[in-house]
Amino acid sequence: MAEVKYLTEHYDKPEYRTLEGYKKYGGYEQLARALKMERQKIIDEVKASGLRGRGGAGFPTGVKWGFLPNNGEPRYLLCNADESEPGTFKDRLMMERAPHQLIEGMIISAYAIGAHKAYIYIRGEYTGPAAILEQAIREAREAGYIGKNILGSGFDLDLDLFIGAGAYICGEETGLISSLEGTKGQPKLKPPFPAVQGYLRKPTIVNNVETLASVVNIIRDGAEGYRKYGTEKSAGTKLFSVSGDVQKPGTYEVPLGYKLMDLINNECGGLKPGRKLKAVIPGGSSAPVLTAAECENATLDYECMQQLGSMLGSGAVIVMDDSRCMVDILSTITHFYHHESCGQCTPCREGTGWMEKIVHGIVHGEGKPGDIDLLLKIANNIKGRTICALADAAAFPVISFVTKFRDEFEYFIKEKRSKVKGTKIYAPMHH
Amino acid sequence: MLQCTINGKELEVKPGTTIIEAMKLIAHEDIAHYCWHPGLPVAGVCRLCVVEIEGNPRLQIACNTQITDGMKITNQSEKVKEAVKWGLDFHLINHPLDCPICDQAGECELQNQYMKFGKYDSEMAEPKVKKHKVVDLGPRVVLDSERCILCSRCVRFTDEVTKTHELGIFNRGDRSEIGTFNGRPLDNKYSLNTVDICPVGALTSKDFRFRQRVWFLKEHQTICTGCSTGCNVKVSYNKEGLFRVKPVYNEQVNGYWMCDEGRDVYKYVNKPARLLDAWMTTAGRGEWLHPLTAAKKVGEFLRAPENKGKSVALVLTGQHTLEEYEALISFFKNEVGTDRIFHWVNNPESMNDFDGLLIRGDKNPNTKGLLETLERHGIKTEWKELIDGLSTGAIRTVVVAGPENQAVYPDFKAKVLELSKAQKLVWLTACKNEELERLQGDVTLIPLKTYIEKDGTFVNYAGLRQTVKKGLTVVANAMSLVEVAEAFKGVDVRPEEAPFKVGVGRVNNEATLQRGSL
Amino acid sequence: MFKLSEEGLNYVKSEMARYEQKQSAIIRALYRAQDENGGWVSPEVIQHLSEVMDIPASHIEEVATFYTMFNKQPVGKYHIQVCCTLSCAMAGGRELTDLMMKEAGCSKLGETSPDGLFTFSKVECLGSCGTAPMLQINREPYIENLDEQKAIQLIRDLRAKAGK
Repeated sequence: MAEVKYLTEHYDKPEYRTLEGYKKYGGYEQLARALKMERQKIIDEVKASGLRGRGGAGFPTGVKWGFLPNNGEPRYLLCNADESEPGTFKDRLMMERAPHQLIEGMIISAYAIGAHKAYIYIRGEYTGPAAILEQAIREAREAGYIGKNILGSGFDLDLDLFIGAGAYICGEETGLISSLEGTKGQPKLKPPFPAVQGYLRKPTIVNNVETLASVVNIIRDGAEGYRKYGTEKSAGTKLFSVSGDVQKPGTYEVPLGYKLMDLINNECGGLKPGRKLKAVIPGGSSAPVLTAAECENATLDYECMQQLGSMLGSGAVIVMDDSRCMVDILSTITHFYHHESCGQCTPCREGTGWMEKIVHGIVHGEGKPGDIDLLLKIANNIKGRTICALADAAAFPVISFVTKFRDEFEYFIKEKRSKVKGTKIYAPMHH
Repeated sequence: MLQCTINGKELEVKPGTTIIEAMKLIAHEDIAHYCWHPGLPVAGVCRLCVVEIEGNPRLQIACNTQITDGMKITNQSEKVKEAVKWGLDFHLINHPLDCPICDQAGECELQNQYMKFGKYDSEMAEPKVKKHKVVDLGPRVVLDSERCILCSRCVRFTDEVTKTHELGIFNRGDRSEIGTFNGRPLDNKYSLNTVDICPVGALTSKDFRFRQRVWFLKEHQTICTGCSTGCNVKVSYNKEGLFRVKPVYNEQVNGYWMCDEGRDVYKYVNKPARLLDAWMTTAGRGEWLHPLTAAKKVGEFLRAPENKGKSVALVLTGQHTLEEYEALISFFKNEVGTDRIFHWVNNPESMNDFDGLLIRGDKNPNTKGLLETLERHGIKTEWKELIDGLSTGAIRTVVVAGPENQAVYPDFKAKVLELSKAQKLVWLTACKNEELERLQGDVTLIPLKTYIEKDGTFVNYAGLRQTVKKGLTVVANAMSLVEVAEAFKGVDVRPEEAPFKVGVGRVNNEATLQRGSL
Repeated sequence: MFKLSEEGLNYVKSEMARYEQKQSAIIRALYRAQDENGGWVSPEVIQHLSEVMDIPASHIEEVATFYTMFNKQPVGKYHIQVCCTLSCAMAGGRELTDLMMKEAGCSKLGETSPDGLFTFSKVECLGSCGTAPMLQINREPYIENLDEQKAIQLIRDLRAKAGK
């Protein structure tokens, strides 16, 4: 098995981004079919397909849809296109190359769950993809795929684009909802969960770009056809964003269950000449880091990553070779979570800043003997103690880095320099 | 009803009850918390009220978890204790250690809860986050952002209670700070409630800042006399007098809040504002007298056959207690033989105003009580009759039970002028007043006790009877109107001798709920 | 005093009608006002939007200060936002920032160059890790796969474009 073109089959064709081009390759045919299906049949099909959320949490999509209460209240479908987990850039590709695939997937999904209003929440920095989406939405509206009585089915759907303004936390589904409601993007207390009380306190489903786009293929091929790829518990294909120390970074679609080292060595062209693998973050910066040894037999699926104590997350694979200083890398990660903590829950607000200061101190030769254990204590005491998972996301890399590469941290604290010979430690010029 | 167990105690609670409500209000268990306040929507951000629920591996916050039947809850497990310790430490790592100069010291929830639940050995060696200090937030409130723990209570208060939206939390992460937009003042009629609900010393009252250490103050529960709402309050005082007023929860009257104006009411109680002895002028010569002596002299005069009868008028305001009205009205009707008893209405045009929250246009605590008493005695008079009587000479003697709180009597000066036409004017008053001191002719001033110094009943706008108890004595020689009425009859009522007496007072009515510190 | 252009005002009004509740239009309104105000959100901007949208100024200020894409201080013609998170940091984004700042004549992050052209910010992951290092100028499409030479050239080109 190798790279497949299942979701990305036509991504190399520039016209695929237009309505005309999309239709040339079968676009919106699945919508027409879906609108003739029983809603429950679509939900059942999505459940049977084993599709799991591609944004990070990996929650079964059909099950999530099933949480909507039958209370007659209006429902909303929100597409999470915030793509803010460091290392992740696959949704951007999907929106740039195949905006109609996402729109078609959204219309089908909205029909299935009975939503008449849907939004794509796109991060503010993605001005390029946003323009492409706006154009595509306009085309779809003009062609009657969005609006009243879609394709004569009697189903109405309004679909619109909402742009963010720079905040990682808006990728968290309730943070996204807060942002869409016009406030700071601070996550909301759960319960109630969004499926029960989400956008405007109405039942709301939030799904990732790739998840919604996958629905088109599930309708086309059926659950069984979709399951042609992947493993029992990790069905289908997934787009992986690979960055860091590989020859050919980029987005690659492979079946779930694919070997991590194959992705690195085959699709990505391997490491840079003369370098050895040191570590891989397999699912975005919040996923616990894997050592080279752990990577050896790792497969890219939810089960294997869980067994290894990490996460498949958003499928953002960040590769680090033996030239990298893990202390320096952790300092950028702790800086990120400190910068992005929304600030409402005390443990996260205070803990992320504290952890950054400690790691920063180590990198600047001011480390203290107890720092490693203190980092572990802080991380363990913010994890699971807050409204959303940002604290966990900040804690996991800290715990995994200082545990798996403890020697590098100890060395840095003691010697006030990196253990990695010849590595470049960033010394800021302007602070 | 639902059954549950909290720290081993079996409880029955109503469906919808949250764990923190059950713990604090029903089981009376200690639970650390900052952001939760029973009068505000749940924020769930301080993360301190964590509890362990049997069968749930993850700690839950008590403020956002409703009790389900059979739930077994504890906050005494090692897991919870450890989480609370760290939770407190996270609150403290960037908090300044300026307790020695912080007004909140002694009633600071950060201090209190750390003493109870804290980690004690902070491991924070990194530099603290710097934020704004001594921010002049508005006419009554000062902010110290470094002390702020971002519980958001004050923001929720201006968003949800006053709906004035002055406050916000700006920026994000540990750079977050509360504040107002572009220095716009926090200026609403309830702004000091933000100081009350601030669990730390981030928001302090300009009026109270640096004036007293709270551990040198005692508290006395009473009723605010600032308007006819009758908010339940407590005053903080020591031998120097009163220092501040804070609201006390009463679901039926004021909930958790009170207005800023009501906070100023205490000021006239303190000695500098008060009339300390009686002043009597006869034949152009004035002298200071013991109030009892003066009152007895006035009484003799009023009861004398040549003076008594309908030439005597009594003027009452809505500022005294039911018991006082009864005593004085009975004396004038029965012993003096006059029914010329008049109600001085201070602000007739705004009497029925209401701001929708607590503030009423009737700036008297007991207008309703006065009206009830007058009606019961069958007294119906118009102010015009008094003025006419004074100009025709039909009314020669006027006794006035003047307002305690002169600040809410915009017509005070005008009324003094009008009434000074009487041949003999007796003015019963708690506070000094230039207009009164300037009066010529046969004038007697007798010092009255304020609401803090006597027992009695007020009837609020809705007809709710609320009793006040004597808390302390500020002016030793001052008399209540009940005592004045007795002295008028010639009875030797002895006013207080000691200048400072500490009493334990408490407001009693069915709706008063003691909820402890919130 | 800041005031939206007539066109801008109409835009904000239509955005207010676009969503279920008008607050949802705050972000778009702030972008528009920021553009019309030379690239930053001044207190006057917030005051004006508060009046136009009938939303408390404190609320708009909360939104404006929460999201990083609103500049609370004046910026140069080119606000250069260099990604310095993880993959970009590994690819030299931080060093590149210093290099470009030196070329542009900026001594501090957030400070505008004396010619008024450049302001630099280090920003967090922009979702372009496979093409690191990269940057974004104002709200324009990304500039990716940078190296030292391209970065220096970029500053020079921008300066030439601005005619300085």
